[in-house]
Amino acid sequence: MNDINIVLRSLRVRFLASSVTVAMVAIAVALLLVLMSLREAASQAFRRGTGNIHLQISADASPLVSVLNGLFYANAPANPIAWAKYQEIKNSFPWLWAIPTQLGDSFRGSPVMATTPEFLSNFEPVSGQPFQYAFGQGFAEDFQVVAGSKAASEHGLSVGQKIVFTHGTGASREGGHEHADHPYEVVGILKPTGSAHDRALFTNLQSTWIIHAEDRLASAHSEEEEDHDHDHDHAHEHEHVNPEDLTDADKLVTGILLRLPTRPGSDASASIAAQFDRLRRDMAITVAQPAQQIGRLMAIVGDIDWLFLAMAVVVLVSSAISIMLAMVASMELRRRQVAVLRVLGASAWRVFALAITESTLIGLIGAILGAILAFGGSALASTILAQRIGITVAGTIDLRSAAVVMASAIVLAALAGIIPAVKSYRTPVARHLKPIA
Amino acid sequence: MSKASPPNRDEHPGIQISGLQFAYRRGFQLSIPSFQVATGEQVLLAGSSGSGKSTLLHLIAGIENASSGEIRIRGTNILALQGGQRDLFRGKNIGMIFQTFHLLQGFTALENVMMALMLTGYTPLQQRERAESALNKLAISDPHSPIEMLSVGQQQRVAVARAVAGEPCVVLADEPTASLDPANARVAIDLIQEAARAAGSALIVTSHDPSLREVFTRIVEVSQFAQTEAVR
Repeated sequence: MNDINIVLRSLRVRFLASSVTVAMVAIAVALLLVLMSLREAASQAFRRGTGNIHLQISADASPLVSVLNGLFYANAPANPIAWAKYQEIKNSFPWLWAIPTQLGDSFRGSPVMATTPEFLSNFEPVSGQPFQYAFGQGFAEDFQVVAGSKAASEHGLSVGQKIVFTHGTGASREGGHEHADHPYEVVGILKPTGSAHDRALFTNLQSTWIIHAEDRLASAHSEEEEDHDHDHDHAHEHEHVNPEDLTDADKLVTGILLRLPTRPGSDASASIAAQFDRLRRDMAITVAQPAQQIGRLMAIVGDIDWLFLAMAVVVLVSSAISIMLAMVASMELRRRQVAVLRVLGASAWRVFALAITESTLIGLIGAILGAILAFGGSALASTILAQRIGITVAGTIDLRSAAVVMASAIVLAALAGIIPAVKSYRTPVARHLKPIA
Repeated sequence: MSKASPPNRDEHPGIQISGLQFAYRRGFQLSIPSFQVATGEQVLLAGSSGSGKSTLLHLIAGIENASSGEIRIRGTNILALQGGQRDLFRGKNIGMIFQTFHLLQGFTALENVMMALMLTGYTPLQQRERAESALNKLAISDPHSPIEMLSVGQQQRVAVARAVAGEPCVVLADEPTASLDPANARVAIDLIQEAARAAGSALIVTSHDPSLREVFTRIVEVSQFAQTEAVR
């Protein structure tokens, strides 16, 4: 028998109240740890995916929208860039590479990026970590497609499978139509990169231009027929377009990814700022430095993030208050126990210490459970985020932060025990030894 | 930590009260010019309600503070001890038994007894040995039962065991039979007397029960040595 036994039994006697207060502390600690973990992890996750791009060009309304659309597949960019403009930009500077991209189609909700093979060979979704194939290889011919790891697993894709794309992306696919005349063959499946690119599919530009050219021609024929007031059914044959038939109106892109030459072992280039300023003078395009835009995004999100953190701190303080209230609420029973302990030889300071130990123990158990919950919750949250938005948020909990949060919870719990401890200390012994009515 | 050496029991009387005055909150004062209980003596303290029986026990135990006077337990004036010193002295030298037992819920019978020993500095091994011995003497069949699972009679035995396990100088029993029928009251008082005798403790029992008069050799009416009077 020792003082800790007394405290543990005291907690067991008030099992329900003790459990609730422990749960409150655990939830508060878990919430704080998960938020702190996700805050850093989310920032890193957004930095994945922009990879080794120095500049990104689009015709979107703002650089941030451009990055979110072009590299995180938030929406299909609304405004295209003409192929001639791409050529002009490409030839305006000795870029290490200039990769055109086009977004607009989807496969069962997963975005399809039309691009050149250089996207899969030169672009690195995470700097220093190029795309790797789990199965198959890159697209070499028209109507071949390479699937990101998440897209492949979500839709059960395998090499050799034929799939049909839908015009439009995300929610807009409901209003789109299928390019049923041109099935694509899956020729490769990528390994996971932990970026938004995992949920996309990649094909070449020419295939996309061809199917959209055919759509354009079909649409033009329909309008013509309406103009001629045809009154008979017309089994309209879909007109096939060959690559040489493509016009400038068909050859559109929605983004250009640029990388400047750098010194070996360096990711930076002294010319980035100069090229950024030069390109920005062209009012027809939007130029973004992806890393900078993600930094801005995190600054915006950071404010909300602090709000969540503040809420979690409030929950932590509330849990400490709940410990105090639970202990004060049980004061009548506790005073009788205190009176008996005093009669048996416990000093007033000892019963004070027992109350503080009890609240501290609630904090300690709550903090440990909270940390366990946080590790589990973090893993769950990253799984959900990966499934919902396709970015890998590795919710690793920093041990130093965890120690600080847990220590704070324990100290707060100990402080919460002060009022009940003072009440215990001041318990009039004789009065509480009277027979219970 | 082992228990400090017990005082020499033959050197001083068990309890020696002199010039004691205690002020009630409601404007009355209890005065006890002199009162003594010898070592190992057993006294029945009788008197009407409000005569000051329980107050006297609380004063002897040092859980009430007197306005003036002395209460010496084996030569030590408990009222002169302060804070933790007084608490520890009480735990080591005075065993208390209450009408409603005041056993701690959530603990076993054994743990209730061990706790009293723990609070006065016995080692865990000593706690267990003494508690098991005390419970065994009082015929507690299952010392590992949670206290709330025991019968009222068994609970009373545990309360007695707790009071005498540390072999205190004095055992104070405040209306220990008030909630029992006459037959069980007699059994209980026999138990308390025997346990106090075995522990070598002086015993003071307060009671309204006239049937207990026949089992005590010394019966003291509170009014014989204490006056309660209104004060301005």
